[in-house]
Amino acid sequence: MTINDKAMRGLVEESQDLQSEAMRAARQSHDELRDIAGSRRGQRPDPERLREYELGRRKILKAGGFGLGVLASSGLMSTAWGQRAAAIVKAPMQADTDVDIQIFQTASSLEILAIATYEAALGLPFIADNATVRTFAETTMMQHAEHNAAFQAQTETLGGTRQEMPNPKYAPIVEEAKPTLTDAMAVVQLAATLEEVAADTYLANLTLLSDGNMRVLMASVMGVETQHLATLRAVGALLEAGLPELVAIPTDLAALPAAAGSVAFPAPFEEPNLASPPEEGAVA
Amino acid sequence: MTTESIQPIEAETEPSSAMARRGILAAAAGASAAAVLALKGGVASASSRPSPSQEAPSESDLATAGVAAGLEVLAVNTYGAALDAATSGALGAVPPAVAEYVTTAQAHHQAALDAWNGVLTANGRPAVTEPPADLATTVNDQFAMVTDIAGAAQLALGLEQIAAATYLAVLGTLQAPAAIELAGSIQPIDRQHISVLLFALGMYPVPETFAPTDIAYSGSGAPAPGAMPGAMPETS
Repeated sequence: MTINDKAMRGLVEESQDLQSEAMRAARQSHDELRDIAGSRRGQRPDPERLREYELGRRKILKAGGFGLGVLASSGLMSTAWGQRAAAIVKAPMQADTDVDIQIFQTASSLEILAIATYEAALGLPFIADNATVRTFAETTMMQHAEHNAAFQAQTETLGGTRQEMPNPKYAPIVEEAKPTLTDAMAVVQLAATLEEVAADTYLANLTLLSDGNMRVLMASVMGVETQHLATLRAVGALLEAGLPELVAIPTDLAALPAAAGSVAFPAPFEEPNLASPPEEGAVA
Repeated sequence: MTTESIQPIEAETEPSSAMARRGILAAAAGASAAAVLALKGGVASASSRPSPSQEAPSESDLATAGVAAGLEVLAVNTYGAALDAATSGALGAVPPAVAEYVTTAQAHHQAALDAWNGVLTANGRPAVTEPPADLATTVNDQFAMVTDIAGAAQLALGLEQIAAATYLAVLGTLQAPAAIELAGSIQPIDRQHISVLLFALGMYPVPETFAPTDIAYSGSGAPAPGAMPGAMPETS
């Protein structure tokens, strides 16, 4: 794989300027959220909202969401970590913690796991030695760190405790997967799955969050995670097709196979198939 | 660009699907397949619109649906015009990946248009069949200056950025869960279109850490100056 390092660095610097502005915009919503937090402080969560949330959660569980569908259909439910994952998914929500806070804590847990995973990937020789992949991993890791910072800030603004730990369901699974990450394709697949879990979780959160500003923040991160996912899908397809030299910027557009124009987005609508429930990564 | 060189688009559909299918199979068969499968944890059969939650949309939601549908009409028409121009040879040689992208993206926007029009007609409103006049004028003016694939990609990038920003902005104001679900399920796809277009134009595919709203279309005027075509959002 090749890359024009200077051009790439320039683009990354440009993105950092943009993200600084975006972070300022995110911070602007904190004032409004502080008002919300102030009005809730010392109060128990609204029972009606908890009931609505629980009904929605049951609907998703019944449909095989939150990871149970594939666990069951693949026979993985009987494995040790399949049972561990299912136990976390099926655990009752925390009735004494605001759903919004749980949502942001769980989002942080997913971001922390993503950061750790990309950090681990950067320690692998076939990632560190490849300029294109390394730049993507470094930039994406940095973006996840910014996402986590935003989610932690929102958690605290709402009066909650910031989540500092990786997602309890997926962290052990990622640990178990690390010894099998022996080539770029395996890393791409693992990263793509984590990005999809995060994006789907944030999508599911949109109808659970109680405030429009929170939804906008969640969706602004969701959109970026799906871009990571699209990039990883395209890279994975090129690697699998035996065309690693095309994973490069500047782009050799004429040489790209037709599938490069569609493999990044297999459906016209994103669905929350891999969504984690809000309490999954909540601070106990 | 000739008609003959556009025709392989259909023929490439199977390899495209096969390529995606191989990716899924490889994930299941590889060394880390168990972990990937456990992480996947859901049935990824996203081929149609999600079933919306039951709750009637408000008047405000319906107005937003109309704006969204208008944007989708514009996107469908613009990608259609790009295909026509490519077929006529007006854009020069068209790489297979670009032809595949245009066809796929147009189908996505048509699906989104159908979904929004479904919301409107289910609530006694007429389906939207025309794009917003002000934005359409801007796009048409820009399209008239397009002479190659790069120019068409820049124009498409601008449209996708506006659409994605609009969906993100309205997520803060929509009220009915079904409307939130629909807008939330379309915004990520438009962001993914942006990434592929950026890569096609030789740019980093995920330049922003947070998706912006600053070029969102309000329905009452054109987006911010400099937003077309394919300009990165203003940051001032």
